[in-house]
Amino acid sequence: MSADSSAVQKKLVIALPKGRIMDESIEILGKAGLRLERSPDKRALIHYCEDADILEMRNNDVATYVELGVADVGIVGKDVLLESGRNVYEPVDLNFQNCRMSLITANGFDGEITRVASKYPNSTLRYLQEKRINAEVIPLKGQVELACLTGLADAVVDIVQTGSTLKANDLVEVDVLFESSARFVVNRAALKLRDKQLRIIIEALRNLAV
Amino acid sequence: MNFAPPNGTTYTLPATLRRRSDIVQKLRRLYTSWGYQQVDFPVLERYDSTHPHEAKSFKLSDRDNDLLSLRSDFTTATARMVQLHYPDFPHPLRLQYDGKLWQTVNPDIARTREFSQIGVELVGLSNAKADAELVFLAKESLREVGLTPRVEIGNPAFVATLFDLADIPSEERTALADAIDRKAIQELQERLERFQLATDLHQALLQVIDLYGDTSTLEIASERCPWPETQVIIERLKAIVAEFDDSSELLIDLGMARRHDYYTGITFRAYTFDFGQPILGGGRYDGILLPEAAGFALGLERIMGAQTDLDNDFQATIISTDDAKAAYLRSQGYSVERAVETDLDTLVERAKDRGIAFLVSGSGIEALSKGAKESSDLDRLEELLEQL
Repeated sequence: MSADSSAVQKKLVIALPKGRIMDESIEILGKAGLRLERSPDKRALIHYCEDADILEMRNNDVATYVELGVADVGIVGKDVLLESGRNVYEPVDLNFQNCRMSLITANGFDGEITRVASKYPNSTLRYLQEKRINAEVIPLKGQVELACLTGLADAVVDIVQTGSTLKANDLVEVDVLFESSARFVVNRAALKLRDKQLRIIIEALRNLAV
Repeated sequence: MNFAPPNGTTYTLPATLRRRSDIVQKLRRLYTSWGYQQVDFPVLERYDSTHPHEAKSFKLSDRDNDLLSLRSDFTTATARMVQLHYPDFPHPLRLQYDGKLWQTVNPDIARTREFSQIGVELVGLSNAKADAELVFLAKESLREVGLTPRVEIGNPAFVATLFDLADIPSEERTALADAIDRKAIQELQERLERFQLATDLHQALLQVIDLYGDTSTLEIASERCPWPETQVIIERLKAIVAEFDDSSELLIDLGMARRHDYYTGITFRAYTFDFGQPILGGGRYDGILLPEAAGFALGLERIMGAQTDLDNDFQATIISTDDAKAAYLRSQGYSVERAVETDLDTLVERAKDRGIAFLVSGSGIEALSKGAKESSDLDRLEELLEQL
């Protein structure tokens, strides 16, 4: 029994979020030496490429696919990764999709914060506990700034990139929870079992992302 | 009436149970052949607020309002049994167990709330030879169930020792260990910059996340971390590896930084190819649950998820109207149903519907399907019946 049947390994599987981050990801992975190309079929969910298969998905799902090993590696924003609580390696900060997670209120609000709306309820709760702010978290799916403007919440926690949305709606950042950027994430088993292949990619990405 | 079992639990149907029993039998035999004696524990445990999985255990109330919990971990159960029944046993003591555990986790494809494990504990001594025996058995366990093993060994004491050398304040250690364990280079850099560390220690802590790979990693670690305190840990790992004639299936990760539960010494995990979850986990827990002990357990659901080439152990299914012939075939290891239908046509029709392959009657044996007619089982059964 057991001549090493593992010598021929399956193709690498990469989980990528759809949208602009996917193009940026394919570009940087290409520079790191992977021959990748989107399928011409716009509805394709899996892109079969020379050096890997790309799974196209919502950014919230990337960490799930990678932790469970359905994808070997993936690219996902630190904001989304932190919110997921998923257990993956994150050996490279790719230094794009840079933004910050901030606590936001209406301009001039000086009352006590009792309700905070967010698409990131876990990160929000952690922040509130750390700061000993006795407030309730209201999970929302999108357009959270609206919660502030309508009085659904006293404050919101959300991603700020340029700040233009805030300015346009007369909102202000009152605190920064953390800085975020895209991370290259790796399944725990895959990092060890595809050691040689992934070490080269990680090294290349680290050099590219400086 | 809702017949579906609670979320995260499932009925085990015959085909799955056959596979699970087969795995359990193979592994029990392996551990027995190495001198590990089988023990069993109650599913109901006294509630204990110091239990390592206290937060994750299901709680129940007893008649007198005493609190009980469902068994959530075999190592803790073993340690308590050893303390009660073997306080003065001449060591070492080798024990094996298997069965179900329950934890209040959110179920997904990697974990369920009810799950099965099989494992061993080697109690009563602590040295590299004992560590190596467990690592070897971990490797053989995967092989025994048809999986190609890779066993990864680390020791979170290595990172903790670097923290000691660098005088990292205790309140910073959890977050720092967590960043190292996730190999989160950016976060690690930021956190390390807060401390004014000597260059060699700063570098050692930064590079520890990349100290993984085959067993030559230990040589690299020796060079980068020349301190006597870290050398002790590296030497123990080298001594474990030295017990192996062939260490090509062993992996090292000195960046394992999080303490899982009760482990104090080496910790190890086993992986197999094209399966993204560890199949086995274990380690040494000297001084926590018992003075000197180590062990490991495999997740049976994980093994079944990782197995790809399933044994196609088609077993000829037989129904019989002839008790003497049936008794003889049973004695030869066949599984034979006794026909309870009174009408032969109904019997044949139902047997075909249920996928029964052969009908044995006073006049001999009859194949009930095309597949059965062409199978070599028919020849073998005919031969057996002729001998009768």
